[in-house]
Amino acid sequence: MKYRVRHLTEYLYGAPVTLCYNMAHLLPRDTHNQRCLSRRILVSPTPVYQTEGEDYYGNPTFYFSVQEPHKKLAIDVECYFEIEQNDLSNQLTLHGLTCGELRQQLASASSTELRMVKEYTLNSTHIHRSEELANYARSCFQDDIPVLQASMDFTHKIFEEFKFDPTATSVSTPPEQVLKEKRGVCQDFAHLAIACIRSLGLPARYMSGYLETLPPPGQEKLVGADASHAWFAIFIPDLGWVEFDPTNDLMPNEQHIVTAWGRDYADVTPLQGVIFDGGDSQALNVSVDVQRV
Amino acid sequence: MTNIVTPSTAALTEAPFVAPYAAPENAFDEAFEVNRLPRLAWQSVMSAVHELGAEGMQDRHLRAQRILRDDGATYNLKSDPLSPNVWSLDIIPQVMVESEWRVLEAALKQRAKLFDLIYKDLYGEQRLLKEGILPSEIVFSHPGFLRQCHGLNWPTDIMLTFHAVDLVRDQSGRFIATGDRTQAPSGAGYALENRTVVSRVLPSLFRESQTMRLAGFFQTVRETLSKLALHLTESPRIVVLTPGAYSSTYFEQAYMANHLGYPLVQGGDLTVRNGKVWMKSLNGLSRVDVIVRRVEDAFCDQAELRSDSMLGVPGLLEVARQGNVVVTNPLGSGLLETPAILAFLPQISQFLMAEELLLDSVETYWCGDTNHMGYIEANLKRLIIKPAFRGINSKSIYCHQLDAKGLADTLAMVKANPVGFVAQHYIPSSYSPIWDNGVMHARPGILRTFSVATDEDFCVMPGGLSRVADHDDQCIVSKRLSGSRSKDMWVLSDSTETDIDVPLDNLPTSQAQAANLPSRVVENLFWFGRYAERAEMSLRLMRTIFKQLNGIDRFPTESREVLLGAMSEITGSLPGFQDQPELIENPNDELAALVVDANRVGSIKANLQQMLACAEQVKEMLSADTRIILNELRDHIHSVDRAYVNGLPSVPEESLDSLVTSLLAISGLNHESMLRGMDWMFQEIGRRTERALLTANLLKQTLSRPLPSLQQQQVLESVLLSVEALISFRRRYRTRARVSYGLDLLMIDRSNPRSLIYQIEQLRKYLEELPQSEQTVLGLSPDKRLIIKSLNDIQLADLESLAQIDESTQTRADLAELMTQIIEQLEKLTTLISDKYFDHTAGPQQLIKAKWKNNV
Repeated sequence: MKYRVRHLTEYLYGAPVTLCYNMAHLLPRDTHNQRCLSRRILVSPTPVYQTEGEDYYGNPTFYFSVQEPHKKLAIDVECYFEIEQNDLSNQLTLHGLTCGELRQQLASASSTELRMVKEYTLNSTHIHRSEELANYARSCFQDDIPVLQASMDFTHKIFEEFKFDPTATSVSTPPEQVLKEKRGVCQDFAHLAIACIRSLGLPARYMSGYLETLPPPGQEKLVGADASHAWFAIFIPDLGWVEFDPTNDLMPNEQHIVTAWGRDYADVTPLQGVIFDGGDSQALNVSVDVQRV
Repeated sequence: MTNIVTPSTAALTEAPFVAPYAAPENAFDEAFEVNRLPRLAWQSVMSAVHELGAEGMQDRHLRAQRILRDDGATYNLKSDPLSPNVWSLDIIPQVMVESEWRVLEAALKQRAKLFDLIYKDLYGEQRLLKEGILPSEIVFSHPGFLRQCHGLNWPTDIMLTFHAVDLVRDQSGRFIATGDRTQAPSGAGYALENRTVVSRVLPSLFRESQTMRLAGFFQTVRETLSKLALHLTESPRIVVLTPGAYSSTYFEQAYMANHLGYPLVQGGDLTVRNGKVWMKSLNGLSRVDVIVRRVEDAFCDQAELRSDSMLGVPGLLEVARQGNVVVTNPLGSGLLETPAILAFLPQISQFLMAEELLLDSVETYWCGDTNHMGYIEANLKRLIIKPAFRGINSKSIYCHQLDAKGLADTLAMVKANPVGFVAQHYIPSSYSPIWDNGVMHARPGILRTFSVATDEDFCVMPGGLSRVADHDDQCIVSKRLSGSRSKDMWVLSDSTETDIDVPLDNLPTSQAQAANLPSRVVENLFWFGRYAERAEMSLRLMRTIFKQLNGIDRFPTESREVLLGAMSEITGSLPGFQDQPELIENPNDELAALVVDANRVGSIKANLQQMLACAEQVKEMLSADTRIILNELRDHIHSVDRAYVNGLPSVPEESLDSLVTSLLAISGLNHESMLRGMDWMFQEIGRRTERALLTANLLKQTLSRPLPSLQQQQVLESVLLSVEALISFRRRYRTRARVSYGLDLLMIDRSNPRSLIYQIEQLRKYLEELPQSEQTVLGLSPDKRLIIKSLNDIQLADLESLAQIDESTQTRADLAELMTQIIEQLEKLTTLISDKYFDHTAGPQQLIKAKWKNNV
């Protein structure tokens, strides 16, 4: 399947910004089933300095600096890419590696892969493991339950027990609070799932990207379309990273487009940086359009 | 053992020196053998101490203290510029013979190479983690592992430019490493200062001992840093990035920057433009190629690292990543300081270099390793528990000091987060002699050594920073540089030839640097000048008022009102005396407050403190003599404080005299000894503008109100006295105390260095010499226009009519108006200068971050 993504980000400032330095994670990355065909990024006003690079996790980065005074900063990303089917749902019944076995493998860390995957079992900027988080997910991830099945059940549990509510949380709401209030947005659900899974000693990572805006005929529109989306992946030795979307209660197949992954949101923030001047007020508009082509 | 030549063996055989103390049995005695005779290496030092005797040693000790204070060698300067902590130094050197040193040196080189390889691996291929040589959790959970710094561009083979090691000697005399400093090691500058001081107070001992010199090390530092920028330019601009004057090792940073000949800059002095780093200087932006940083990793760049940092340069990391500036030690190198690495160092050395380690580390166990936990639990009582990741509040727990409950709590804490802790064995430090209160004592000590990268290897400073416990009862020397006493480390050369010595003062020409001062530096000098002048003028007026209050002449109410009112005006502490008849009758408390209340903005003490704070900010620019005077000034401020402790003393002006003298000494020194560079110029501009402003204000406050003739004379004479013009006035005009004569002397007399016109003419000269921006202004620039306008206003003034009393207002309205106008023009001028030459960028703010909720 081929897609075209258009992602517009606009910052509006109360007073002119004289100087800014920004690091963006806005360009889609290549994955085992996703390939970028072409991409274009336009910043206005034109940056005096810009570079494309790759971060620690292999995600494409875009760094730029604007030195002329501006009250509006616009970043317009357009890219085309191709996604192959990646249907792992049949594995749900077939794959038998249990949570207990995976925990044991991680403890012995006998392969390079397992040693490196430990990064995703530890605390990170937004995620701090806790007993409370572990308790919430413990029933799903019992030692004798297959990891894949456990993850799907847990995804379903979050989908059932949490309410999608964009007003309930902010970028920095900790998973504990989301757990208490049982509401939030895709980013919160992804963080919560990751935090619970790590609290139970298993590796989970944060996935950031887009969803197809208009569903194929006869299917419902998914929540989180028209905007950036977030979900999580869990590591299973011979399958690699298997993705789950707790906001939509499903395993991403070919409608989820990946821009970046990392330990949590902080590693893949779409746009971070600092501005000089600009007054006290900032407003942010984001729009995303994902179409099949 | 060694073939060291001891010059005073003859003296020794006559008077054998026996240890005056005994080191504890479980510790190595650095200076004495078991038979209590000095070790061979120490014989010359011990006989020198012996020959000097208690009195001689005390005398040298005091001299060393004085030099340190005059050099401004401080540590841990808190927010009080009045009482800096003087760096603590013991004058008995720590001694080692060359043969022993060479063995240690080889081991330290190997260790530095190893840490360089570890840095490159962890921020590159990560083979150590992939192969399981170093447990990956140690790195992955370390907050100092900055993933943003992965894959930095670097122009040379070795990335870890500086490496320092803390060493102790165990009971058998073997050196053991207890920790590594890999990010911005401090101490090399203190070691250099120690050497300078000790070689000055014990010159003949130093000369005869053939001590290996430190200069070669610092020369290598310069060469290495220059090479880091060879791919960018042939004449690199290198700067030292400091966290600022309140950083605990600021003295050292300033000292090193000066010694190496590099500008000392703060984050705000630098800016990133067009993908490069620039220093904001008087001449505009100048490109920076190499940054030697003393700022910690995470604080270096608000754009990608800690956005709440006040110390960084936004955008720096990206420039470094692209190789357009070299920041050293490389960003992210703080990671290597984790003690957890020590537990795996032998295996790491085998893996990365296929070498056995020549230097052992203190026995360390990482609690995250389940195989080690059993041992840790069984031996807890003998271990030190340390956080694996050094944080602000991280503290070591010495388990032998704990009771049963303490041990249980510690174990529970470790088990809750085993990855975050290490356990180490405690090694009793060796004992070294120190000179304390006239007696030689033994104290436990540690040694910090310093290595700097060369092309393919490392160069180790032949010496180091030796530190001993400050008190008798301390058994542990602090990791930080505070709370201990330092010693100069001497490596005694085997050969009698003096080694090729680069003179210590062989500085690269600082010409280019002087022309290119960071704006912050000139701004501080400008304010230094202003505060100094403000303090001096207030002091002079204050002394005059005290004389009148306690004088033999009557001091009528009108005179009091005018002079006390002027005092409030000049110190800017309004309303103060103005329209406060009760206060004017009983002025003592208010006057005392204007002298010593540091919390009153504008008080004499507050001005002096501000002045000292500015001096501290530009420490590296001050001459040795200036520092000496500033120290005296600090002492004088303390004595004024003591004199005023119960309010106004009976002779209140007495203790103020020495303050005035110190201030005069500073301005005299500037005149006689300072090169006429931009630093001098801005200090002078600050001084002249302030004097002009205050003089105009003083004239307006004191002379625009008409008074009965006796009072008028008293006020006029007081003003003249306070600006040191009374004698000239009397000589010139005899006893005719007319206001217009006073104005003649104070406003338009070019030969009076305190007259208004003198200040403004000087200012005009200075402005001519300041660098001008390239853009051409038609006609005169606004600042020059203001100066010429003020000059004309003064020159064209009709003094007789200024002295006339206006019928309707019953004031000298013309005088008041003219002075107001001149004050306004001068204030506008300072704003123009400040806008043009100083940096006013506000700090950066963070972008708000998108949250995934825009779909509703």
